[in-house]
Amino acid sequence: MNILTIPLRNMRRRPSKTMLLLLVFSLGVMSIVALYQVSLVVGHSLEKKLTAFGANMIISPATEKLSVSYGGFHMGDMLVDVENLPEEETVLAIRSIELKDRISAIAPKLVTMTKVNDIAVALVGVHWRDERGIKSYWAPRGEFPSASDQVLVGSQAAAKLGLAVEDRVSIIGQDFTVSGILHETGGDDDTVIFLNLHTLQALVGRSNATSFIEVAALCNGCPIEDIVAQIRGQLPNAEVKALQNVVNQRMASVRFVQKLAFSISLVILVTATSMVGLSMLSAVNERKKDIGILRSLGYGKPQIFIIFCIEAGFIGVLSGLAGYLGGFGASFKALEFLSLSDGVSPVFSVAHLLLACAAFGLITVVAAVYPAWKGAGVDPSTALVAL
Amino acid sequence: MLCAKNISKKFVSRGNVVPVLKEVSMDIAEGEFVSIVGRSGSGKTTLLNVLSTLVQADGGKLYYQDENLSTFSESHLNRLRQSDFSVIFQFHHLLPYLTVLENTLLPFMRSLSPVGKDALRKARQCLDRVGLADKADRLPGNLSGGEQQRVAIARALVKSSKVLFADEPTGSLDRATGEQIMGLLSELHEEGLTVVMVTHEPAYARLAERVVEIEDGLMMKEST
Ligand SMILES: Nc1ncnc2c1ncn2[C@@H]1O[C@H](COP(=O)(O)OP(=O)(O)O)[C@@H](O)[C@H]1O
Ligand SMILES: [Mg+2]
Repeated sequence: MNILTIPLRNMRRRPSKTMLLLLVFSLGVMSIVALYQVSLVVGHSLEKKLTAFGANMIISPATEKLSVSYGGFHMGDMLVDVENLPEEETVLAIRSIELKDRISAIAPKLVTMTKVNDIAVALVGVHWRDERGIKSYWAPRGEFPSASDQVLVGSQAAAKLGLAVEDRVSIIGQDFTVSGILHETGGDDDTVIFLNLHTLQALVGRSNATSFIEVAALCNGCPIEDIVAQIRGQLPNAEVKALQNVVNQRMASVRFVQKLAFSISLVILVTATSMVGLSMLSAVNERKKDIGILRSLGYGKPQIFIIFCIEAGFIGVLSGLAGYLGGFGASFKALEFLSLSDGVSPVFSVAHLLLACAAFGLITVVAAVYPAWKGAGVDPSTALVAL
Repeated sequence: MLCAKNISKKFVSRGNVVPVLKEVSMDIAEGEFVSIVGRSGSGKTTLLNVLSTLVQADGGKLYYQDENLSTFSESHLNRLRQSDFSVIFQFHHLLPYLTVLENTLLPFMRSLSPVGKDALRKARQCLDRVGLADKADRLPGNLSGGEQQRVAIARALVKSSKVLFADEPTGSLDRATGEQIMGLLSELHEEGLTVVMVTHEPAYARLAERVVEIEDGLMMKEST
């Protein structure tokens, strides 16, 4: 028996009122926790899905440009020391950075020029699986190549070279079959011929060589600059560039989801908190008699204040507990329902649970501050009028 | 022991200033049993509340053991209500959600530190004294009016109060129960407790050593 006995017993006196308040606040907490968990997972999976629409980093060999003019004759900018990036080592290096978990796709490429049917055209060697991972918008007439003697042709290149699906074509002295022709993408992909990277490397006698490597990284929760810096640390001789506009667009989408969740949470929180505050305010009015009795027994204003705050805080802590557990469970259901989980699932943490209890307890106490202050301010004589 | 000098108190109701107490003075000696009588609305409750410090007077002075209570701070007054002064109201003495025992121990539940064993033992003794030992774990809703009144008296005893203020303690009780309560108060008075009681009943007033009559906020006469 101590001062806590008073608010706790009072809550038990009105079980239905207390349960209703607990239910409403627990539901509020539950929605907030579920929204938070879902927005985390959705943000993550959204970003992952967005990486299918292109890379956000490019790694290329370090080049030096030199503006050459000699004897009054300008020869334009020349690339000095064009080297290739070694495929295997570079990919391994990227995979070994500390933030390797944030790398969602690596697509190495080799680009060379050749003549097909006497027309100049660029050849791009790719790994089909990696490339399609960052180019989900690719759609061919025909099929994607599945064998090393098949090629995929950009729409403009196909028109220029007069190629159709199933045609045979000779490239650098080797015969290939056109397995598919890309629908127009509006980008550089329209003007080139894609073939297997290792086939192209063998064909031009540059095994293990790549011209550049596109990387898709997830930037939710860590800045792209950190990833860039870590790759630079591993590859001092390469140039590592982030495509800032791509990164920013993607983060904007992810942040939008999170901001939306945050705004809804705020509305729910304000509503639930007002309910607790209002209910405490009416409790103070109903309990003027109690206040009068307590005051006549020497309870001071601080004690009256504390009794009401404890009552509210207790509701907050209990709701935090029930709401967190409920919200956690609900987030699984919601993700299942939205089929969004994508292998990522909410992580349960006791620390978060305790934090939620403390935070919601504090919020309800704050909501009760005004009613409790009013209750404490009730003059014993006016409280006694009710007696 | 308790001394009121020229106490005045006004209330404002519907814009009108109503003087309820007009320069009332009275002296209560230690161990005395004083009853205050007067018609309904004459200001008896207000006077009792001023004496028990629950209502602040507009004018005049109140001394307790030669100390001027108007100079006391809020927390000082609270300490006085915790220990020396006890009030028994006409109705509503108890918190309905606490058991009889808990209600008796309310004065000791003001902080986080749990009620001590001594207080607990004393509370049970006092409940025994007022004949409620077997109802310690009941809720007030299950008690009769007289029993509730007795819990309030037990609570005053647990505090070891020096002055007991009672506002028409028998007003809501039937004759037999009223007499029981009055018997209890007389007993306590005999044991040395100072009792200040407001009552309607001339028969009960006569049990006191001194009767003070109030009319329209003025002290009319005293008789012994
Ligand atoms: N808090 C208050 N506000 C306004 N008027 C009050 C208040 N308390 C008492 N009164 C008025 O003061 C007068 C005396 O009241 P009270 O002391 O309760 O009389 P009694 O106890 O003798 O019946 C009554 O007219 C009552 O209406
Ligand atoms: Mg009265």
